[in-house]
Amino acid sequence: MEHLLYLGTLIAVWIIVALAANLVVGYTGMMAMGQAAYIGVGAYVTATLNILLGVNFYLALSAAVIASALVAAITLLPLLRIGSFYFALATLGVNFVFFDIFRNLGPRVEGSEGLYGLQLPGLFAASGPRFATTLAIAGACALLCQRIVASPLGRVLRATRDRPDALAALGKDPRRYRMVVWTFAGALTGLAGGLYAATLFYIDPTLFTLDTSILVLVYIGVGGLASTAGSVLGVVLLTAFNESLRFIGLPSQYVGPLQEAMYGFLLIALMTFRRRGLVGNYDFRE
Amino acid sequence: MAASLFQVFSAGLGLAGYYALVAVGFALIFATLRIFHIAHGTVFIVGGYVFFSLHRLLGLNVFLSAAAGIGCAGFAGLAIDKIVYAPVLRRGGGMFNVFIASLGAALIVEAGFLAWTKGVVSVARTDMLDIVIFDNVALRIFDIGILALVAVAFTVLYLWLHRTNVGLEVRALTDNANLATIVGVDVQRTRNSIFLVASLLAGLAGVLTTYDAGIVPSTGFQILFIGIVAVILGGVRHILLGTLVGATCLGLLTAFAGFFFPEWIISITFLIMIVLIIVRPQGILG
Repeated sequence: MEHLLYLGTLIAVWIIVALAANLVVGYTGMMAMGQAAYIGVGAYVTATLNILLGVNFYLALSAAVIASALVAAITLLPLLRIGSFYFALATLGVNFVFFDIFRNLGPRVEGSEGLYGLQLPGLFAASGPRFATTLAIAGACALLCQRIVASPLGRVLRATRDRPDALAALGKDPRRYRMVVWTFAGALTGLAGGLYAATLFYIDPTLFTLDTSILVLVYIGVGGLASTAGSVLGVVLLTAFNESLRFIGLPSQYVGPLQEAMYGFLLIALMTFRRRGLVGNYDFRE
Repeated sequence: MAASLFQVFSAGLGLAGYYALVAVGFALIFATLRIFHIAHGTVFIVGGYVFFSLHRLLGLNVFLSAAAGIGCAGFAGLAIDKIVYAPVLRRGGGMFNVFIASLGAALIVEAGFLAWTKGVVSVARTDMLDIVIFDNVALRIFDIGILALVAVAFTVLYLWLHRTNVGLEVRALTDNANLATIVGVDVQRTRNSIFLVASLLAGLAGVLTTYDAGIVPSTGFQILFIGIVAVILGGVRHILLGTLVGATCLGLLTAFAGFFFPEWIISITFLIMIVLIIVRPQGILG
């Protein structure tokens, strides 16, 4: 039961990450390959403030949201004018740079590679309430994202993706909307990062590598691009599938490589047979 | 101090040799076929591990094992093109879809080697390498051999590109792929030659690295990303000269950065890439 609650909480956290990633990748067409950097900023800001400076968890989480939104905006600023393919490469580079920053400059608790010992308030202290609260937050994020994409702003975002020139001709600057959505997604991702730290109890730099960013892409790619339901579906299905791997009695050292190989197969199969994912509305091609 | 700086300089040139061998194949494939071949790093480790298994585990002669490793790498490169890229392209996938599928292929093979080696470094040599000393600076005969090999490989490549019919077709594809097809270039045959040549070179680099410093499954990704930065640095349209310039710069840079601040090597490499993408995407030679 404890493990199921833990899994449920993780699923809720990744749903928030996937929702944010789908906003930028699926709806706005910005190929983000470094989302792990913003998860890391959220997790590190929350954990550092709470553990090392004794700041209240909610305050620390809010600071994490603001910090990751800021970091997202600042990292996007120089990348705004480059084309989509090089953009993907550049965000991937951003991920590597942030990994080095976490590893070399990230604060750590004496005697470990990372941070542990979060002081969690009542709503997060035990696994049951933590699951309920995180799920509620994820649900609120899903509703918010759905509201955004169904609004006129959502239409502008899709136009930014499909016809940026036409949008510019209407007097709306596509770069402005890219910046807005990227910053908002950064804030959501940072929120998820803070919740991730609360779920795992321990964070270290190895959680925020390129592998994590690829995982996010796989989630939304399988579930479906430009679809709120797709973000949720991808995370739930893949986590369930991953967990079922534990029960077929494989030696534990093979579980990690098997998952990695499975993600590889999924990426190839998706790109070959169903580029929009299970319930997606957008076909990523160039 | 001067002597030790010169020592670092020579180590950097040795590294540049490896980078150049990997980067030139990547550049060849990217410039002619517009395929962002992430799995080129996979080809590199296939060569390395075949060589390691034959030479170190089965005790086969070093040159025979090296030839087998390079051959298997060539075969792996062709196989990835046929099994992964061709179906994606046939079903109407674009450059971006091939890129993601390539990432998938790389993940699968890396996972396989990870399950097999459990992440332990595989080094093929068992003894120390000979050195020669000039004025306090120790040069390894092996490094000098690598530079000689690189010189030979690039000369052969130059002759292939500029003195043979296939080479002419390859250059035609670089300049204008559509026109080349119209005037009757056999794209499929040219494509096979390109993948074969590029993969053999990556296999050679893999064998050399495995002999000297050793590899882990993730080495493929690392060296490939450095190769990509080298290609962008030198300029994609100058396959041979651009790669040599880019690889030399990056080899020296990694050596000096590794000497002064080793923990930031990855960040520095990727920051250079990002800055280049923003400021001068066509590379130094333009």
